[in-house]
Amino acid sequence: MKAAVFYGPKQPLVIEDVEIDQPRDREVLVRTVASGVCHSDLHFVDGYYTFPVPAVLGHEAAGIVEEVGKAVDYLKPGDHVIACLSVFCGYCDDCMSGHLNRCTNRAATQRRKGDKPRLSIKGQLMRQFADLSTYAEKMLVHENALVKIGNDMPLDRAALIGCGVTTGVGAVLNTARIEPGSTVAVFGCGGVGLAAIQGARIAGARMIIAVDQFESKLALAKRLGATHTIDASHTDAVKAIRELASPGQSSDRGGVDYAFEAVGLKKLAEESFECIKPGGTATIIGMIPVGQKVELDGTKFLTERKIQGTNMGSNRFRVDMLRYIDFYQQGRLNLDDMITRRGKLEDVNEAFRAMKAGEVARTVLMFD
Amino acid sequence: MKAAVFHGPGQPLSIEEIQIDEPREHEVLVRTVATGVCHSDLHFVEGLWPHPTPAVLGHEAAGIVERVGSEVTYLKAGDHVISCPSVFCGRCKECITGHPYRCNNRPAIRRAKGDKPRLSKNGAMIRQFSDLSTYAEKMLLHENALVKIRDDMPLDRAALIGCGVTTGVGAALNTARIEPGSTVAVFGAGGIGLSAIQGARIAGAAMIIAVDMFEHKLATAKRFGATHTVDASSSDPVKAIQDLTDGGVDYSFEAIGLKKAAEQCFDALAPGGTATVIGMIPVGQKVEIDGPKLLTERRIQGSLMGSNRFRIDMPRYIDFYLQGRLNLDDMISRRGKLEDVNEAFRAMKAGEVSRTVLMFD
Repeated sequence: MKAAVFYGPKQPLVIEDVEIDQPRDREVLVRTVASGVCHSDLHFVDGYYTFPVPAVLGHEAAGIVEEVGKAVDYLKPGDHVIACLSVFCGYCDDCMSGHLNRCTNRAATQRRKGDKPRLSIKGQLMRQFADLSTYAEKMLVHENALVKIGNDMPLDRAALIGCGVTTGVGAVLNTARIEPGSTVAVFGCGGVGLAAIQGARIAGARMIIAVDQFESKLALAKRLGATHTIDASHTDAVKAIRELASPGQSSDRGGVDYAFEAVGLKKLAEESFECIKPGGTATIIGMIPVGQKVELDGTKFLTERKIQGTNMGSNRFRVDMLRYIDFYQQGRLNLDDMITRRGKLEDVNEAFRAMKAGEVARTVLMFD
Repeated sequence: MKAAVFHGPGQPLSIEEIQIDEPREHEVLVRTVATGVCHSDLHFVEGLWPHPTPAVLGHEAAGIVERVGSEVTYLKAGDHVISCPSVFCGRCKECITGHPYRCNNRPAIRRAKGDKPRLSKNGAMIRQFSDLSTYAEKMLLHENALVKIRDDMPLDRAALIGCGVTTGVGAALNTARIEPGSTVAVFGAGGIGLSAIQGARIAGAAMIIAVDMFEHKLATAKRFGATHTVDASSSDPVKAIQDLTDGGVDYSFEAIGLKKAAEQCFDALAPGGTATVIGMIPVGQKVEIDGPKLLTERRIQGSLMGSNRFRIDMPRYIDFYLQGRLNLDDMISRRGKLEDVNEAFRAMKAGEVSRTVLMFD
């Protein structure tokens, strides 16, 4: 099958023929129909995070089941599915206490070391990224990497739910658990930030302030639910947020109830902590490069400000993704406008370039 | 009346005769019976945090009501009370949403600017610290700075509940809301840290790891409920905690006010864990946390005065004490007179005491 292979940081992915094995006991072979190009793949391509090579990247996809292993009863050929990188064992402490997104026993869902690999090239091991590898015509995954969805859900929009939408909406609904009437600021209006904005709208936030450096992205943010926008290319975002959310309050009292960082920049993580009010919560969704420290004003802890990470929207994806599909079909979650471009697998490097240039919220690669 | 006056950082407090006014409408005059010497006063004496001078410090006390203002119905002369720095207006957004300790309308409980000050000396204003000023024979306060307590509670131990105990126990019970069976690490085994340890024990923590640089404080921590201790003077506390817990704790607490300890608190967490910073980190210092660790849903948060609703919490803590579930007796290392306040600061800095309580006649 055709796949986009990663050979190391700062090199374009190469489209090559890669072998994929047959599904074993609890494995499922899925024909990829659509795969989103997500910013976190770019972190690896840019070398901010490391991953062994060669590997097939991609972790946001939807498709149709082709074959299932003999122990699989959750799925059958023909089922429509979304893949999720929060593959869960189902029996570790985190899984059992409702945090399958933090499963500590991922090895249980992988093939053992020394076993025939799921992916290979000319007899050599090809690494699977996030236990998924969606930049390929087919995916061989553990059944606990999949959720079955209705056949009436378009698979290109379903693909977005696989990572970006779940990460952004879930950060708001599951991690921060914002209340109706809250004030919210979202730093970054790419796919994840736009999803967070929509999560805030769905949860009933009364003020949603979108912050970005690109006017085009701020315009899209408004269409998806932002009530206010701040162009950070020429405005002090923290000051502007305080003025919007709590006019007339001093800097040590004013701010929003909730802030979300959806880029992965140290500076924005610090600003999201700065712009919350006493008792407020900053949630960092973005992947901050390895080795970077987020510097927080120590005295701000005295007023019970809080900063927390979120992983994949704290999802229980077999529960959450079906809800998000309902929201989409009810017209409450706009996925149509989140797809800026569609392309082929061969367009993956161009999609990275456009993302870096801030030209797109999301490119979706379509397979025939 | 006699009071210990603060004239500026780096100087000892001086015992002086100052004047205290009569209670107005919502004010209460309290005879101070006991006041604890708390680490946060020391932050001001050392100049790590600024405060205008001259001022009477002290913010952890219990006493007996002497006189009440014309509008006060909650208290009467003779009532035993604990004072609390979390004076609340009762009508701002924070107060009406269950966070009176974050009241953002504190001027409403003070005298207006230009009014006769509550405290003065020879006609010149003396600043009130935390709207309390407990290092003095009497306190003139807004009634919302006080909780009425049962008469059978010894007032020296009640005084500790006024700040340190509420801050530490409340950080565990109210701010972090730890669950039974959790694993907990507490950095610093002074008054606040010991209280956090006791809070963790009361809440049913399965493992409570005390971290300090002094062996005798770790021994004390064990008596208060720590199940394990780590001497940070001779080992890396993060690694020791990770080894004890198979990777990190569910909850950690910083009870000193050190940047480094706050960072270690964050590093010692298991994925999904919560670090709660109780200590006052000096102005201008940045706590640096590892960005990628946020990806595994670690959290760091501040706690102010144990997120208290003190008129609810403090009577509970008194019940815990009287039931033998909250050890206050062993938290008082020394008792002294008002004149011993500077010695109490020295002993605290030297790590000799968890708490000195100053007693008034």
